[in-house]
Amino acid sequence: MGTKLLLVDDEDGIRTFLGISLADLGYEVLTAADGRQALEIFAAQRPPIVLTDIKMPGMDGIALLRRIKEQSPDTEVVMISGHADMDLAIKSLKFQAADFVTKPINNEVLEMALARVQEKIAMRAELRRHTENLERLVEEKSQRIVQLERQAAVGQVVESLSGAIRDIAGDIEDSAATLSDLPCFISIHNQYMEVVSTNALYRARLGEMTGRGSWEAYADVEPRDCPVGRTFRSGAGQRMEASVRTVLGERVPVLVHTAPIRGGDGEVELVLEITADLTAISRLQEELRATRAQYQLLFDEAPCFISVQDRQFRITAANRLFKEHFGSPGEGVRCHAVYAHRDEPCDKCPVARTFETGQSHQWETVVTSRTGKPYNVLLWTAPIRDASGAITEVMEMATDITQLRELQDHLASLGLMIGSMSHGIKGMLTALDGGVYRVESGFRNDDPGRVESGWATVKDMVSRIRSMVLQMLHYAKHRELNWAATDLGAFFESVARLVEPKAQKGGVAFVRSLPPGDLGSFEADATMLSAALVNLLENAVDACQDDTAKPRHAVTFGVRADETALTFTVADNGTGIDRETRERMFTLFFSSKGCKGTGLGLFVSDKTIRQHGGAISVDSEPGQGSTFTIRLPRVLPESAKTCSEGS
Amino acid sequence: MAKKIMVVDDDRDIVDYLVTLFKDSGYETCSAHDGDQALKMLETERPDLVTLDLEMPKEWGPRFYRKMTQMPEFKETPVIVISGLSGIHLAIKKAVATINKPFDPAQVLGIVKDTIG
Repeated sequence: MGTKLLLVDDEDGIRTFLGISLADLGYEVLTAADGRQALEIFAAQRPPIVLTDIKMPGMDGIALLRRIKEQSPDTEVVMISGHADMDLAIKSLKFQAADFVTKPINNEVLEMALARVQEKIAMRAELRRHTENLERLVEEKSQRIVQLERQAAVGQVVESLSGAIRDIAGDIEDSAATLSDLPCFISIHNQYMEVVSTNALYRARLGEMTGRGSWEAYADVEPRDCPVGRTFRSGAGQRMEASVRTVLGERVPVLVHTAPIRGGDGEVELVLEITADLTAISRLQEELRATRAQYQLLFDEAPCFISVQDRQFRITAANRLFKEHFGSPGEGVRCHAVYAHRDEPCDKCPVARTFETGQSHQWETVVTSRTGKPYNVLLWTAPIRDASGAITEVMEMATDITQLRELQDHLASLGLMIGSMSHGIKGMLTALDGGVYRVESGFRNDDPGRVESGWATVKDMVSRIRSMVLQMLHYAKHRELNWAATDLGAFFESVARLVEPKAQKGGVAFVRSLPPGDLGSFEADATMLSAALVNLLENAVDACQDDTAKPRHAVTFGVRADETALTFTVADNGTGIDRETRERMFTLFFSSKGCKGTGLGLFVSDKTIRQHGGAISVDSEPGQGSTFTIRLPRVLPESAKTCSEGS
Repeated sequence: MAKKIMVVDDDRDIVDYLVTLFKDSGYETCSAHDGDQALKMLETERPDLVTLDLEMPKEWGPRFYRKMTQMPEFKETPVIVISGLSGIHLAIKKAVATINKPFDPAQVLGIVKDTIG
């Protein structure tokens, strides 16, 4: 059975027809006629892919998309939109739609969109698998460290054990049975410095020594210097390092503890000697060190930003990559300060959720490095528990998926471009044919009116096709700035002259506003910058012509300059721009001009101005007019001169 | 009496083109710039054939077609789809023909003549 896919459309025909096509592509197709039904089916079947129409009665496709993404962020939703709903389709991308296809649906386009979605799902699964592997590895290593530390602690236990055994030995006549089970060499010596009892391990490793001299187990130790001898002499417990000989003839370094056992008269009657094999301990210590180093290496070299945080989100440890990109966090520095430059924790903080639930949590967000570079990251958290199982800290791993996101955005705009361009060009070519037809038939029928109107269409279409092709070339290929020192006054006048005739022809007054005197020069690619300003000025003239509310219209083109920067203004008293349009006007393929616009003009103008190290801002009231303000530096930034910006 | 063709397209230049083309061949014409306007004009204009763009503001082509064919007197009115969208042959299955923009005027006129004479 193929991948489940939920198809949501209010039109029966589309459900049937698309359903068959999708089944042919190997999907197990579920269908729903509206958003409500879709949510029910989604809850029951959990399909990984949802294909939904945008315009539906009741809950529309965008609302459905948001509900599904809330419930299951990993589900990929592909939108179906009419070309008239292109703005909604673009909006849907903001709400994490994977892609959209336009109606009427072309099977190949749909198949490609679904293939991309499948690839994305596979990629995410792989990413998750990698992260889980890493998580598991870290957990295994941590457990190993805990285990080793416990073993090392055994050495210390021996010390306190000797105290306990001294008491036991005092109480119990025959202590031999107890001693045999202890995990180190234990022996009891009498005041004649003879071995009287040993445990099983002692006998196995050092041989049967009962009845022999207390010093004989040691290599190169004089009787009076052996630990037992010193204990009898001083009456106090001893602690020293020495070497013993095993039955196999090996020389083994040991740590010896002794404790005097006194009789009723207070005299030392017996000495308890406990000897721990140091080779085992030093081997354990070495192993511990190596494991720690490995763990540190793993921590540092992992290809993601790793930090360990306490309950107050203070970073207590960070790996090398993290430090490189976000700086070494000082004591008490909080995660949200480093990652997001904010004072309060983030709303959806996965670390907080892990502290609450004890589970791993995942969150995709954007963080900003110390140089101000934004990274799209996939965060993954894991709890760190103490010996009693309580969560003391949380480890957070952030995988940089910026390139993945950029690639996705680029693919989406490329798809948009191909769809929207080819359709626009076809319309223009048809209108051009219409103009040519009217010119020809006008000549044939000797109808000058028809020739004139046909010729007007031809000219209009040629100019539109020309500007669209030029803008496409701009978008398709990143152009490096062909910059030179440019006289500001002369540049201003040349731009004004390009637009003035169009304004006058359309009955719009064209006003220049500039200070008297020499304005000096600035660095710019005059051709590109001129095109960007002409685009803004022509838009201003259009906005005046579209406005029927006011009797007189004017476009004011202004410039001001100081020592380091210059400001162009393009102001009109035309239709004005509403807020939503203002927010979206610089995005690719946004057009408020219907079939007259390509949706490329402002995008390209904005790109040009930014390439010059400048910025563009808009001030506008619907019905009152608009003012575009373009600020540019006099001297181009080095990055613009060497052209590091990618295409 | 001359047959009447309704031209539905949101691009005025293309409407002008088709209207001129049909008038030159002796047809009467009327035109609408979106599906909504076209639906309102059906009763008064009573066209014998409709040329229909797909992508239009307010009621795109297929929806106009569905609403038109739900009206009993226009159930059988022939429709020629003329659109710039690719892969559209299935958009309106019962269309007399589906023609891509830019189109060959002789082809359009030929289909019109074959359909309504």
